[in-house]
Amino acid sequence: MKIMAVCTSGLGSSFMVQMNIQNILSSEGVTDINVDHTGAGGVSPNDADYFFAEKSLADGALKNLGEDKIVKLDSLIDKNELTDKLNVVLDDCGIAHS
Amino acid sequence: MITKNGIVLTDVLTSDHIQYIDRFKGNWEQAIATASSPLLQDNSIDQNYIDSMIDVVKKNGPYINIGTNIALAHSRPEAGVNKMGMALLSVNPEVNLCDDKERPIKLWFVLAASDNDSHLDYMAALASLLGDDSAVPMLLQAKSAPELYDILVKMKEGN
Repeated sequence: MKIMAVCTSGLGSSFMVQMNIQNILSSEGVTDINVDHTGAGGVSPNDADYFFAEKSLADGALKNLGEDKIVKLDSLIDKNELTDKLNVVLDDCGIAHS
Repeated sequence: MITKNGIVLTDVLTSDHIQYIDRFKGNWEQAIATASSPLLQDNSIDQNYIDSMIDVVKKNGPYINIGTNIALAHSRPEAGVNKMGMALLSVNPEVNLCDDKERPIKLWFVLAASDNDSHLDYMAALASLLGDDSAVPMLLQAKSAPELYDILVKMKEGN
Protein backbone atom coordinates (compact mmCIF):
# COMPACT_ATOMS: atom_id res chain seq x y z
CA MET A 1 0.00 0.00 0.00
CA LYS A 2 1.13 3.52 -0.69
CA ILE A 3 0.21 6.70 1.15
CA MET A 4 1.05 10.13 -0.23
CA ALA A 5 1.08 13.35 1.77
CA VAL A 6 0.33 16.36 -0.42
CA CYS A 7 0.83 20.10 -0.11
CA THR A 8 1.00 22.80 -2.76
CA SER A 9 4.75 22.91 -3.16
CA GLY A 10 5.51 19.34 -2.18
CA LEU A 11 8.34 20.61 0.01
CA GLY A 12 7.19 21.71 3.41
CA SER A 13 4.03 20.61 5.13
CA SER A 14 3.64 17.45 3.03
CA PHE A 15 7.00 16.18 4.27
CA MET A 16 6.00 16.97 7.83
CA VAL A 17 2.85 14.88 7.43
CA GLN A 18 4.85 12.06 5.78
CA MET A 19 7.19 12.01 8.76
CA ASN A 20 4.36 11.99 11.27
CA ILE A 21 2.62 9.16 9.38
CA GLN A 22 5.85 7.12 9.35
CA ASN A 23 6.35 7.68 13.07
CA ILE A 24 2.81 6.58 13.86
CA LEU A 25 3.04 3.50 11.62
CA SER A 26 6.30 2.44 13.21
CA SER A 27 4.93 2.92 16.73
CA GLU A 28 1.91 0.83 15.75
CA GLY A 29 4.15 -1.90 14.40
CA VAL A 30 2.91 -1.51 10.83
CA THR A 31 5.44 -2.19 8.08
CA ASP A 32 5.17 -2.59 4.31
CA ILE A 33 3.46 0.74 3.77
CA ASN A 34 5.25 3.11 1.46
CA VAL A 35 4.84 6.76 2.53
CA ASP A 36 5.97 9.65 0.37
CA HIS A 37 5.20 13.34 -0.20
CA THR A 38 4.55 15.42 -3.29
CA GLY A 39 3.19 18.68 -4.64
CA ALA A 40 -0.41 19.27 -5.67
CA GLY A 41 0.61 20.22 -9.20
CA GLY A 42 1.42 16.90 -10.79
CA VAL A 43 -0.39 14.48 -8.51
CA SER A 44 -2.81 11.97 -10.05
CA PRO A 45 -5.18 9.38 -8.50
CA ASN A 46 -2.87 6.51 -9.53
CA ASP A 47 0.10 7.84 -7.57
CA ALA A 48 -1.06 6.30 -4.28
CA ASP A 49 -3.83 4.38 -2.58
CA TYR A 50 -4.52 7.18 -0.13
CA PHE A 51 -3.68 10.87 -0.08
CA PHE A 52 -3.42 12.94 3.12
CA ALA A 53 -3.83 16.72 2.82
CA GLU A 54 -4.96 19.80 4.71
CA LYS A 55 -8.72 20.05 4.24
CA SER A 56 -8.92 23.32 2.28
CA LEU A 57 -6.43 21.91 -0.21
CA ALA A 58 -8.26 18.57 -0.29
CA ASP A 59 -11.54 20.31 -1.10
CA GLY A 60 -9.91 22.59 -3.65
CA ALA A 61 -6.89 21.71 -5.76
CA LEU A 62 -7.04 17.99 -4.95
CA LYS A 63 -10.71 17.35 -5.68
CA ASN A 64 -9.79 15.31 -8.77
CA LEU A 65 -8.19 12.61 -6.61
CA GLY A 66 -11.64 11.42 -5.56
CA GLU A 67 -13.38 11.63 -2.19
CA ASP A 68 -12.70 8.01 -1.22
CA LYS A 69 -8.93 8.35 -1.63
CA ILE A 70 -8.41 11.64 0.20
CA VAL A 71 -8.01 11.91 3.94
CA LYS A 72 -8.70 15.51 5.00
CA LEU A 73 -6.75 16.91 7.93
CA ASP A 74 -7.84 19.84 10.10
CA SER A 75 -4.36 20.13 11.58
CA LEU A 76 -1.08 18.95 10.06
CA ILE A 77 0.71 18.72 13.40
CA ASP A 78 -1.95 17.14 15.63
CA LYS A 79 -0.75 13.57 16.09
CA ASN A 80 -4.00 12.45 17.71
CA GLU A 81 -6.06 13.50 14.72
CA LEU A 82 -3.57 11.94 12.34
CA THR A 83 -3.46 8.69 14.32
CA ASP A 84 -7.27 8.42 14.37
CA LYS A 85 -7.58 9.04 10.64
CA LEU A 86 -4.68 6.76 9.77
CA ASN A 87 -6.19 3.95 11.86
CA VAL A 88 -9.47 4.27 9.94
CA VAL A 89 -7.51 3.71 6.70
CA LEU A 90 -5.67 0.73 8.20
CA ASP A 91 -8.94 -0.78 9.44
CA ASP A 92 -10.58 -0.27 6.04
CA CYS A 93 -7.71 -2.12 4.42
CA GLY A 94 -7.71 -4.86 7.02
CA ILE A 95 -4.20 -4.04 8.18
CA ALA A 96 -3.48 -5.01 11.77
CA HIS A 97 -2.10 -2.32 14.07
CA SER A 98 -1.65 -1.82 17.77
CA MET B 1 16.05 19.59 19.11
CA ILE B 2 18.71 17.46 17.48
CA THR B 3 17.75 14.99 14.79
CA LYS B 4 19.54 11.77 13.99
CA ASN B 5 22.01 13.58 11.76
CA GLY B 6 22.99 16.10 14.41
CA ILE B 7 20.90 18.75 12.69
CA VAL B 8 19.81 21.61 14.90
CA LEU B 9 16.82 23.77 14.03
CA THR B 10 18.54 26.92 15.26
CA ASP B 11 21.27 26.42 12.63
CA VAL B 12 18.79 27.79 10.08
CA LEU B 13 16.19 29.37 12.34
CA THR B 14 18.84 31.68 13.74
CA SER B 15 18.21 34.33 16.40
CA ASP B 16 18.30 37.14 13.81
CA HIS B 17 15.53 35.38 11.87
CA ILE B 18 13.14 35.44 14.83
CA GLN B 19 10.87 38.40 15.57
CA TYR B 20 8.17 39.24 18.08
CA ILE B 21 5.90 42.18 17.31
CA ASP B 22 3.49 43.54 19.91
CA ARG B 23 0.45 45.45 18.64
CA PHE B 24 1.05 44.17 15.13
CA LYS B 25 -1.05 46.15 12.70
CA GLY B 26 -1.42 44.43 9.39
CA ASN B 27 -3.22 41.70 7.52
CA TRP B 28 -2.06 38.14 6.81
CA GLU B 29 -0.12 39.18 3.71
CA GLN B 30 1.82 41.73 5.74
CA ALA B 31 2.44 39.13 8.42
CA ILE B 32 4.04 36.79 5.85
CA ALA B 33 6.07 39.66 4.37
CA THR B 34 7.22 40.82 7.82
CA ALA B 35 8.10 37.29 8.93
CA SER B 36 10.18 36.91 5.75
CA SER B 37 11.99 40.24 6.03
CA PRO B 38 15.14 38.86 7.76
CA LEU B 39 15.52 36.33 4.92
CA LEU B 40 15.16 39.14 2.40
CA GLN B 41 17.69 41.27 4.24
CA ASP B 42 20.39 38.60 4.29
CA ASN B 43 19.66 37.77 0.67
CA SER B 44 18.43 34.23 1.35
CA ILE B 45 15.35 35.06 -0.74
CA ASP B 46 14.20 37.60 -3.33
CA GLN B 47 11.04 39.70 -3.05
CA ASN B 48 9.54 37.42 -5.66
CA TYR B 49 9.57 34.51 -3.17
CA ILE B 50 7.46 36.51 -0.71
CA ASP B 51 4.97 37.38 -3.46
CA SER B 52 4.87 33.72 -4.47
CA MET B 53 4.15 32.50 -0.90
CA ILE B 54 1.21 34.93 -0.73
CA ASP B 55 -0.01 34.03 -4.23
CA VAL B 56 -0.18 30.29 -3.52
CA VAL B 57 -2.41 30.97 -0.52
CA LYS B 58 -4.65 33.25 -2.60
CA LYS B 59 -4.85 30.53 -5.22
CA ASN B 60 -5.07 27.40 -3.08
CA GLY B 61 -6.54 28.61 0.19
CA PRO B 62 -5.31 28.69 3.79
CA TYR B 63 -3.66 25.26 3.73
CA ILE B 64 -0.52 26.75 5.34
CA ASN B 65 -2.49 26.83 8.62
CA ILE B 66 -0.72 23.70 9.86
CA GLY B 67 -2.00 23.76 13.43
CA THR B 68 -4.00 25.93 15.83
CA ASN B 69 -2.53 29.47 15.74
CA ILE B 70 0.39 28.28 13.57
CA ALA B 71 1.13 28.87 9.88
CA LEU B 72 4.02 27.64 7.73
CA ALA B 73 4.42 29.82 4.65
CA HIS B 74 6.50 28.43 1.81
CA SER B 75 6.75 28.16 -1.96
CA ARG B 76 8.98 26.52 -4.54
CA PRO B 77 12.79 27.03 -4.65
CA GLU B 78 12.59 28.46 -8.17
CA ALA B 79 10.25 31.22 -6.95
CA GLY B 80 13.28 33.06 -5.59
CA VAL B 81 15.33 31.20 -2.97
CA ASN B 82 19.08 31.87 -3.00
CA LYS B 83 19.95 30.08 0.22
CA MET B 84 17.99 27.73 2.43
CA GLY B 85 16.59 29.38 5.53
CA MET B 86 13.77 29.61 8.03
CA ALA B 87 12.21 32.52 9.86
CA LEU B 88 9.63 32.98 12.61
CA LEU B 89 7.39 35.89 13.51
CA SER B 90 5.14 35.90 16.56
CA VAL B 91 2.46 38.60 16.54
CA ASN B 92 0.24 40.05 19.21
CA PRO B 93 -2.67 40.04 18.66
CA GLU B 94 -3.16 37.14 16.27
CA VAL B 95 -3.73 37.90 12.57
CA ASN B 96 -6.48 36.06 10.70
CA LEU B 97 -5.12 34.01 7.81
CA CYS B 98 -7.07 34.89 4.64
CA ASP B 99 -9.08 37.29 6.85
CA ASP B 100 -10.83 34.19 8.19
CA LYS B 101 -11.92 34.65 11.82
CA GLU B 102 -11.63 30.92 12.35
CA ARG B 103 -7.92 30.97 11.44
CA PRO B 104 -6.21 33.34 13.90
CA ILE B 105 -2.44 32.89 13.55
CA LYS B 106 0.13 33.85 16.16
CA LEU B 107 3.24 31.97 14.97
CA TRP B 108 4.18 32.65 11.35
CA PHE B 109 6.94 30.28 10.23
CA VAL B 110 8.58 30.83 6.84
CA LEU B 111 10.45 28.08 5.00
CA ALA B 112 12.77 28.94 2.14
CA ALA B 113 13.98 25.70 0.53
CA SER B 114 16.75 25.99 -2.02
CA ASP B 115 16.15 22.56 -3.55
CA ASN B 116 13.96 19.51 -2.99
CA ASP B 117 16.09 17.82 -0.35
CA SER B 118 18.52 19.93 1.65
CA HIS B 119 15.86 21.32 4.03
CA LEU B 120 14.30 17.98 4.92
CA ASP B 121 16.33 17.43 8.09
CA TYR B 122 15.30 20.88 9.29
CA MET B 123 11.68 20.20 8.44
CA ALA B 124 11.99 17.02 10.49
CA ALA B 125 13.31 19.09 13.40
CA LEU B 126 10.46 21.58 12.97
CA ALA B 127 7.91 18.77 12.86
CA SER B 128 9.30 17.33 16.12
CA LEU B 129 9.13 20.77 17.72
CA LEU B 130 5.54 21.38 16.62
CA GLY B 131 4.56 17.87 17.62
CA ASP B 132 5.85 18.52 21.14
CA ASP B 133 2.86 19.20 23.38
CA SER B 134 4.94 21.11 25.90
CA ALA B 135 6.93 23.26 23.45
CA VAL B 136 4.00 24.59 21.43
CA PRO B 137 2.16 26.30 24.34
CA MET B 138 5.48 27.84 25.42
CA LEU B 139 6.10 29.23 21.94
CA LEU B 140 2.54 30.59 21.79
CA GLN B 141 2.97 32.32 25.14
CA ALA B 142 6.45 33.76 24.56
CA LYS B 143 6.50 37.54 24.55
CA SER B 144 9.84 38.39 22.98
CA ALA B 145 12.20 37.18 20.27
CA PRO B 146 14.90 36.11 22.78
CA GLU B 147 12.26 34.14 24.69
CA LEU B 148 11.24 32.34 21.48
CA TYR B 149 14.87 31.59 20.67
CA ASP B 150 15.53 30.28 24.19
CA ILE B 151 12.65 27.83 23.86
CA LEU B 152 14.11 26.52 20.58
CA VAL B 153 17.55 26.17 22.14
CA LYS B 154 16.22 24.47 25.28
CA MET B 155 14.27 21.99 23.16
CA LYS B 156 17.59 21.14 21.58
CA GLU B 157 19.17 20.49 24.97
CA GLY B 158 16.18 18.54 26.20
CA ASN B 159 16.43 16.05 23.37
